[in-house]
Amino acid sequence: MIICEGLTKTFGPVTAIQDFSLEIPDGCIFGLLGPNGAGKTTTMRMLSCLIQPTSGKAHIDSYEIGKKGDAQKIRGMIGLLPEVPGLYETLGAYKNLDYYGQLYGISKQKREESIRTTLTNLDLWDRRNEAVGGFSKGMKQKIAIARALIHDPNYIFLDEPTASLDPMAAKIVREYILEMKKQGKTILINTHNLSEAERICDTVALVKNRTVKIGNPKDLARGLFTRTISITMQNIPSTLLKDIESLSLVSQAQVKGNQLILQVRNPEADNPQVLSWLFKLGLQVQFVSEEEHSLEDVYLKLIEEAGR
Amino acid sequence: MRKDLDEFKKQKFVIGSIIAMPIILGVVMPLAMFVPMVTMVPLDRPWDIDGLLQIGSLPDNAVTPWTNQTIGDASFDATIFKHTVLKNVSLTHCIIESCIIENTTIVDTTITNSSLSNSYLMNVTVIHSEGTRLDGRYILAISSDLMFTRTKPSEIDQVLPMMFNMILMIFIIIPATLPTIIATYSIVGEKNNRSLEPLLATPTTDGELLAGKIFSSFLPSIGATLLAFTLGVVLLDIVLIPKVGYPPLPNLTWILSIVLLAPTACLMSVLACVLVSSKVSDVRAAQQLGGFIVMPVVLLMVGVLAGFIFLSPVMIFVFAGLYGCLDLGLFFFAKAIFNREAILTKWS
Repeated sequence: MIICEGLTKTFGPVTAIQDFSLEIPDGCIFGLLGPNGAGKTTTMRMLSCLIQPTSGKAHIDSYEIGKKGDAQKIRGMIGLLPEVPGLYETLGAYKNLDYYGQLYGISKQKREESIRTTLTNLDLWDRRNEAVGGFSKGMKQKIAIARALIHDPNYIFLDEPTASLDPMAAKIVREYILEMKKQGKTILINTHNLSEAERICDTVALVKNRTVKIGNPKDLARGLFTRTISITMQNIPSTLLKDIESLSLVSQAQVKGNQLILQVRNPEADNPQVLSWLFKLGLQVQFVSEEEHSLEDVYLKLIEEAGR
Repeated sequence: MRKDLDEFKKQKFVIGSIIAMPIILGVVMPLAMFVPMVTMVPLDRPWDIDGLLQIGSLPDNAVTPWTNQTIGDASFDATIFKHTVLKNVSLTHCIIESCIIENTTIVDTTITNSSLSNSYLMNVTVIHSEGTRLDGRYILAISSDLMFTRTKPSEIDQVLPMMFNMILMIFIIIPATLPTIIATYSIVGEKNNRSLEPLLATPTTDGELLAGKIFSSFLPSIGATLLAFTLGVVLLDIVLIPKVGYPPLPNLTWILSIVLLAPTACLMSVLACVLVSSKVSDVRAAQQLGGFIVMPVVLLMVGVLAGFIFLSPVMIFVFAGLYGCLDLGLFFFAKAIFNREAILTKWS
């Protein structure tokens, strides 16, 4: 488990992140979302024991970041994919992975097996000795992720794992991440890709130099926006809007073409009553759906509010 | 270290310059100095016949039983010879004045005002003899006609040590200069390639990281130096043996220099370059600053060339010890000021 309590980091007069607190349970995918300069990478570097917090504490399992002696142990427990993969471009994929395997203290036999399996899965075994400088961006990113996993860490920190990847490559990386979750790894992702975060993250934290909001992507939207249902009907009489004002369940209503758009507090309970009322009026309902607010809507609203 | 050496092997131009520079400095330059010298300096000394007393003219205090004779194929002990021609004799504890000595073994004997040819001397004092007016106790034979042991340095042999000292400095400057090509890139290069962050995120300690960077620069530098040293010594011996009659190199000073002084000077340069590399953000800045790093070795070279310092075995130990202490100090200083956070956050 990762626990952060009031983490703060300043660089001279600039505060990168302030009073950052959260708990990341084991085995989940946790997303850090925020604009550029929000302190996401700084937070990840603090948790990776690359930089020291100015104040505050964080624990990964029983080890404390910033404590002498614990930093080396923490670095051995996490696998980091930084924003730039930072592979050794003149060396082959095999040597890149082998080198890091040695740094993590993996035995030669285990390294050889692991690298062979990884490169075979990535269809790179035949190209293992080619300089990675000649590989595509997506391929380099995959090798970099493999590098972060070479020592089978329990915690994986990924900084923008799908940035600059084409949709197919991004999909493969997402599937890789979900596979890691199935293996019980705890994954922390920095990302700008809100749809990706929405798809794979169990919990997200919106960050803008401090914690703005933490929660499940769907719950965040529901908590922030009133829920809107859309009812498609064959015919909408012109008096419907006026009539529907009598329904106390509906806080707001509008008509768009052949759709009746209603804002209600609790669609699960209110929808049957609304539909029953419409049926009584003799109206024919074709479709009922809920307009869901995306994480992007949540993000933009919250980040804007945080900026005020 | 292995990663850096693997990357190093891919850089053909760097490898080329690391091999070419020591060979040019350590082999071509010395040969260019010595070949003209040994071809132009007259090493065959003519007999100084004017320096000899005429045969037949004895001084008043002559007590020798052997005068004005030609003696051959005999052995003598505790005998005085004057104005005598000695051929194929064995002389022990004798006094020889104004004689002509040929094909003779002479032991524990004083020779004065005589000429010698094809003779073997052992523990002999030679005074005013041998045609070159050599004085004193020891003569170093250059002429192929003479075989001497424990003899006095000749002119060429007075010059050779000084020249050897100068050439030796090349093999100290080379290992101090080569690291500025490799070691300055060690950390700042990783910064520029953005490969430093994942490296620092591993459980590697600061000391292990620095040691890896140090040895990956030290090994190629000292290897190239040894290669140039070996080639230089072999080629110089090939040039000099016909003239001096024996292989003058490597002598004790040279062996101690390559075993002690060159590695400590190399390590000093590597350590300073790695230190600079961890502090700057640009490879060019690191290489420019690296030029200052060889100053302690340059000062030694200036001292040797100016004649203030003569590299004897004792001086080698002194300077190697000094550089060794600097090396230890630099390593612990580099380890103390190595700051992952500063390296990561302060690059451009």
